[in-house]
Amino acid sequence: MAIDCKHIRNFSIIAHIDHGKSTLADRLLERTGTVEKRQLKEQMLDDMELERQRGITIKARAVRMECRHQGRLYELNLIDTPGHVDFHYEVSRSLACCEGAVLLVDAFQGVEAQTVANAYAAINQNLAIVPVINKVDLVHARVDEVLAEMEQSLAIDPSEVIRASAKTGIGIDDLLAAIIERIPPPAGDPAAALQAMIFDSHYDSYRGAITYVRLVQGTIRKGQKIRFLRTGVTHDVLELGQFVPQRRACDELVAGQVGYLVCNIKDVKQVHIGDTVTIPGDEAAPALPGYKPPQRMVYCGLYPSEGENFEELRDSLEKLAINDPSFEFQPESSEALGFGFRCGFLGLLHMEIIQQRLEQEADLDLVQTAPNVTYQIKKTDGETIEITNPQDVPDTGQIEEFRQPVVRTNFLIPVEHIGPIMQLCTDRRGTYLKTEYLSPTRAMLTFDLPLAEVIYDMHDKLKSVTRGYGTMDYELVGYFPADLVRLDILVGGKKVDALSIICDRRDADRRGRAIVKKLRGEIDRHMFEIALQAAIGTKVIARETISAMRKNVTAKCYGGDISRKKKLWAKQKEGKKRMKSIGSVDIPQKAFMAVLDQGTER
Amino acid sequence: MDHPAPRHAYVHVPFCRHRCGYCDFALVAGRDDLLDRYLAALDRELMRLAAPLVFDTLYLGGGTPSHLGAAGLGRLWGLFADRLVPAAGAEVTLEANPCDVTAELVAAAADQGVTRVSLGAQSLDATTLRVLDRDHAPDDVRRAVGLLRSAGLAVNVDLMTAAPGQSLAAVVADLDAVAALDCQHVSVYCLTWEKGTAFESQRRRGTLAPVDEGLERAMFEAAIDALTAAGFAHYEVSNFARPGHRCRHNEAYWDCRPWEAFGPSAARLLGNTRTTNHRSPTTWMNRVLAGADATGDVEAMTAEEAARERIVVGLRRRDGLGRAAFREASGFELDALAGGPIARWVAAGLATDDGSWVRLTRAGLLVSDSLWGDVLG
Ligand SMILES: Nc1nc2c(ncn2[C@@H]2O[C@H](COP(=O)(O)OP(=O)(O)OP(=O)(O)O)[C@@H](O)[C@H]2O)c(=O)[nH]1
Ligand code: SF4
Ligand SMILES: [Mg+2]
Repeated sequence: MAIDCKHIRNFSIIAHIDHGKSTLADRLLERTGTVEKRQLKEQMLDDMELERQRGITIKARAVRMECRHQGRLYELNLIDTPGHVDFHYEVSRSLACCEGAVLLVDAFQGVEAQTVANAYAAINQNLAIVPVINKVDLVHARVDEVLAEMEQSLAIDPSEVIRASAKTGIGIDDLLAAIIERIPPPAGDPAAALQAMIFDSHYDSYRGAITYVRLVQGTIRKGQKIRFLRTGVTHDVLELGQFVPQRRACDELVAGQVGYLVCNIKDVKQVHIGDTVTIPGDEAAPALPGYKPPQRMVYCGLYPSEGENFEELRDSLEKLAINDPSFEFQPESSEALGFGFRCGFLGLLHMEIIQQRLEQEADLDLVQTAPNVTYQIKKTDGETIEITNPQDVPDTGQIEEFRQPVVRTNFLIPVEHIGPIMQLCTDRRGTYLKTEYLSPTRAMLTFDLPLAEVIYDMHDKLKSVTRGYGTMDYELVGYFPADLVRLDILVGGKKVDALSIICDRRDADRRGRAIVKKLRGEIDRHMFEIALQAAIGTKVIARETISAMRKNVTAKCYGGDISRKKKLWAKQKEGKKRMKSIGSVDIPQKAFMAVLDQGTER
Repeated sequence: MDHPAPRHAYVHVPFCRHRCGYCDFALVAGRDDLLDRYLAALDRELMRLAAPLVFDTLYLGGGTPSHLGAAGLGRLWGLFADRLVPAAGAEVTLEANPCDVTAELVAAAADQGVTRVSLGAQSLDATTLRVLDRDHAPDDVRRAVGLLRSAGLAVNVDLMTAAPGQSLAAVVADLDAVAALDCQHVSVYCLTWEKGTAFESQRRRGTLAPVDEGLERAMFEAAIDALTAAGFAHYEVSNFARPGHRCRHNEAYWDCRPWEAFGPSAARLLGNTRTTNHRSPTTWMNRVLAGADATGDVEAMTAEEAARERIVVGLRRRDGLGRAAFREASGFELDALAGGPIARWVAAGLATDDGSWVRLTRAGLLVSDSLWGDVLG
């Protein structure tokens, strides 16, 4: 029997990283009896291998639960979201499927950068917010101060905040009641023409692409024909169902519900996240607005370690892309590395995760070039081009204006660290905007900074300056002119395209010196001398030499010696496998990251 | 296991008066009290032989076998008795410390069938000997060679280069001094800094420094030049011999012929399996005497792995590797296993190839360790 919309509640759990979203989801699954107690694991929705290894949520996960409230049965569709800034796109997509958001704040950490960012994302979408202060069981919980911070920064009425512990289960019943009472039911008419939003999908090697949908209007039944509006392709619904949290088939889904569709789609190019599902023919519903594509913050080249795996890499990227629409990839080629892809990511963690997923899920061995941000160049002929790869920077003569991305960065820090953070941002050519106090002890500092100065190591610097208590968040404000140059690296006299970087002219000397020095440590000695140079155009600004190997021969090779030696030689061999030969120089893969070295004397 | 019976044997004698600072061999220093246990264990290990081993070569290495003295050597030979039996014309090598070489020891050795003595001379320069922690003087070496030669024994002199602080001139002087000795064979070893040695920990503390790699190379080249000029043929990375005096025992290793081995850390190759006894002398003794397994590392190679290893040890020999002989011995075509790398080495001047023999050039030999990865693949 179809459920009445009135009795459905769709909500996401949002918070800063580690504030306990996934643990809270465990408690809700447990309390609603969705998962039997003996099957419950900690952060059970974090079931991707990398999520378990790293102890963080990477992918948003939807689950259907049932809950009885005041004698009535309700269907609750929960989406657990990631807290890390790099996965914010997962959060915004999840929010678009919901009428409400449970906003968690850690009772010890208090309001942090992503608390603010995610809360505003939900408020801007007009979602009902159910604020929760979590981890009240902690001995050091500072409930009253944190309530004040929430009020100060997010205008949340302290009397509406539910005090909970996802660990001990305190407040979970209150939370369930609040979800049902405060979050509105979805609007939508089960009798209207089908209109559903694809908010996620993944590729299953047996069943093809499985799409995750939120029904906005109408009803969808097993066996019926549906159409994806973007491609116009029609499919048969072979199976549909809900997540409990595993997939569980059912016969129909109605407006307001969240579930999945299996249509035996083997061609992943037919699936677009943000696409609208409707029925074929004239009665079809119009397209939903979909999602704004996310802003990619960093780009890097991904190359198969063995050149011949290029097609395999393309295939894996395509499959992964339907599970993560936030990264993009374009084929590119490099003299040094052969054929590969230039990929755009939301941040460095995202980049690392994608690389690891490719290596683990698709069993590929990849070479990655150092990440860079996107630049804009206004050429003398009036054309403006986007630069995602330093190789594409035209000759200086053709450049009228070289622009870099600037981000508005909020730092949420204990007040005693305001000075050092101000210094850090000034050193990085930031423009100070404002300071706001959340409480007598915590402040929010806002700076405009070049993205390139923020993305690589600002987070680490912030953590070390504030002994772990500072958090940050940033958003793109635009592209602004700067005095930028392309710095090339020559190995053995040959320019290695994959090692070029773009940097501020004032930093070029320092960066150049740091890079060739680092490379000197990364590249093994060869039979010949190797010159390492950093150059702007034809002008060499830094140089190092790797002297030739003079002697490398085992003196004793009797009886048992060879067993020992062979192990050593085999190790060298393994190391060599992970290298790229440029000219006759073997460059280890991690050397391509050497260009990230900033140098110390700033 | 189905493989030809070994005709070569190695016995490890793990006793020294003191441990030299650079040495990481399996031995006990100043523990002569363990001799009885050692001999008992060796006796027990020799029982492993199902039939007497008739050998073409026997090598007594260590440690310092000469440290056992005439009496100890007699007891050792007593153990061999009818278990390690020399074939006609067998080569028997005894490693000796110059100080241990007395008329009495020489007589006993000759009596027991020793044909060759390898002297741990290391240097003929008093300063270098002191740096190397050795307990003999240059004259001890000359005296020892004299005694051995008058008993008709062939003599090898071990020489070390690249001792901390050693100059090229000092090495050249050593080489001249060695060439002036009446020895038939010279082994020149560049000092290696092994983990766990006193030298290595001093290096880490910064109180002892290895010589520069360029100088190391010059020393090695000087050795090759001087000894070749003095009539020794350079026949393996570290080994030089007058005509007819190559060490047949070591050649068996490099031919990958099967051999047996006894004593702590001793390695044997039977078929394609190399088994190494436990490295610690006391553990080895305890296990053998308890009837337990005293082997440490077991390396069971496939035929191809063994063939690849044969390429490496073969190319370390200055004669190089003959295609026909390789095929005969290994069952593989040399070019099927290493054709690519060989062509690259030839192109880079690291090897020569006349179609039937592949040899490393001197340039190739000097950096040969960096070549093997491609072959062992
Ligand atoms: N003491 C206490 N610890 C909690 C509570 N809730 C969560 N934790 C702990 O906080 C840590 C983070 O919990 P998660 O549930 O993974 O946090 P999350 O918000 O899902 O993290 P991300 O998804 O990576 O953003 C874990 O070690 C939890 O055990 C709580 O109520 N009390
Ligand atoms: S005498 Fe030889 S075996 Fe004994 S400790 Fe010295 S170098 Fe090592
Ligand atoms: Mg989580």
